[in-house]
Amino acid sequence: MLFRLLPWEYAIRNLFRRPLRTTLTFLGLTTVVTLILVVVGFIRGMERSLAVSGDPETAIVFSLGMGENLEYSSIPMRTSDLVPASVPGIQERYGQKYVSPELFLGTEVRVGNRAPSMGLVRGVNRSALLVRRQLELEEGAWPSTGEVMIGNLVATKLGVTPEEVAVGRTLEFEGRPWSISGIFSAAGAAYESEIWCRLDEMQQAMKRQDLSIVAVSLIPEGDFADLDVFCKERLDLELQAMKEIDYYASLQRDYEPIRWLAWLVVVLVSGAGVFAGLNTMYGSVVGRIPELATLQTIGFSRRAIVISLIQEGVLLSATASLFAAVFALTFVNDAAVRFTMGAFALRIDNIAILAGCGVGISLGFLGAIPPAIKALRMPVVDGLKAV
Amino acid sequence: MNTKFFLLMSCAIAISTVGCSGQPGADSTSSAEHDSHDHDHDHGSGPAHIEAPVAPSEAGEQYFLTEEPADALDVIEAREATQSDEEVVVFGQIGGSHEPFVDGRAMFTVVDDSLESCNEIPGDSCSTPWDYCCETPKLKGATALVKVVDENGDPIKTDARELLGVRELTSVIVKGNAQRDDAGNLTILASSIYVKK
Repeated sequence: MLFRLLPWEYAIRNLFRRPLRTTLTFLGLTTVVTLILVVVGFIRGMERSLAVSGDPETAIVFSLGMGENLEYSSIPMRTSDLVPASVPGIQERYGQKYVSPELFLGTEVRVGNRAPSMGLVRGVNRSALLVRRQLELEEGAWPSTGEVMIGNLVATKLGVTPEEVAVGRTLEFEGRPWSISGIFSAAGAAYESEIWCRLDEMQQAMKRQDLSIVAVSLIPEGDFADLDVFCKERLDLELQAMKEIDYYASLQRDYEPIRWLAWLVVVLVSGAGVFAGLNTMYGSVVGRIPELATLQTIGFSRRAIVISLIQEGVLLSATASLFAAVFALTFVNDAAVRFTMGAFALRIDNIAILAGCGVGISLGFLGAIPPAIKALRMPVVDGLKAV
Repeated sequence: MNTKFFLLMSCAIAISTVGCSGQPGADSTSSAEHDSHDHDHDHGSGPAHIEAPVAPSEAGEQYFLTEEPADALDVIEAREATQSDEEVVVFGQIGGSHEPFVDGRAMFTVVDDSLESCNEIPGDSCSTPWDYCCETPKLKGATALVKVVDENGDPIKTDARELLGVRELTSVIVKGNAQRDDAGNLTILASSIYVKK
């Protein structure tokens, strides 16, 4: 070693010499890192929700020119028969083709005496289970007449408590009550914020005979082009086909500005954290100028003192990051948030932890350098005289 | 002081970002609006970039005609006049949807020349003018599918953009056999193609 370092304990002891300042800084840094974790968890949760919603083997057929607005799509009911009859390469088991006709819409849903709020409702039949493979019935049963099953994020989407939408409770939409028969999950997919009912009942309730989409699962060697050709050939039906992963990728592109805004918040919060670190370290160093000058007179180099001050900052910020990460994993991870497309769970995953702790530790490091340099620029004699 | 200010400001921004979901009208269903014509993209997303056709691949050259065929029918005319298995020469522009080409196949849809693509409308900044989103109601009766076939009559499994060098809104004259179905749809099994400059 070219120079002698100050003992590690010196940095630790210094933190405990000013407990109030250390505690306040610790709380400030913890808040900053927690905020970063929440915002990154929001981004990761949104990305994951859209990423896992699309099945690479599934394609959807919907109205030509509808873009991403599937709730406005309207295709003839017979499409669900024509597609399996005309398109090769659709998965099949025991004579049942993996084709799911679905009616999808956003409509006002009322829970109890609360004011109605916008919910997403999907009318399906049992073949939906063949195509939507992530779906798992967590509680209750598949809906029969007058019943619906709901995703585990529906309560968040509707802004009600889970108890209000428990199995056996009732909700109201399209002018009639529906009893909740079951609750499902879908591995974080967007359906988790949807209400599913029987297709025929939904058509009856809405006085509609059409469908919104037909979802099909292709065999691994199946060619999506065959489905695309069918849609382009049957111009009278005004259809278009899209791979489900492409559909959700297009939704992700639509949410790009929100992602950028969220990252901007991360940068702003990090900036605030740097100021917190600077403020503390300036206060800490200014009060110790004679001490730092003394350290120089007894032989410690300026570089060693700067390193010790950085150790203090990093130690504090690392502790704050660790605490924030534990807090976020315990209380923030999997918390459901309501969003335009429905609802999704915040994800405090490895990326979020890396971003939060990385920023947190950097704050301690960067916040300690300027005050340390400022203090050590002062001549030793002036430093010793300073009170 | 500075620290508190920045922390408060950052908290407010973070909370407003996460909490904006609860705002009325934030729901996609309620906020999404339809224009008088259907479309699947944002008209204000920037001016269209219309590519000129490029040279065909070596394999695609055999399908090209050196001279412009005479008496080509417009798509609407062809839909009205032709019968199944009849030889037909049809003129149209590649388009009719956001994705007029079938990926990995020498197939594309052509639209009648009388329809106006969005780039022909002054002031329209549609980024995909080949979808004719301003003419959606007329598209159904003014579109045909072109399948380029080999000497055995089998569709060629090479992307038309690669094989023929054609692009969206390229004006083409295709020559081949018509295929009609009960719903009145027209598919042309094209054996040759001429690209209008």
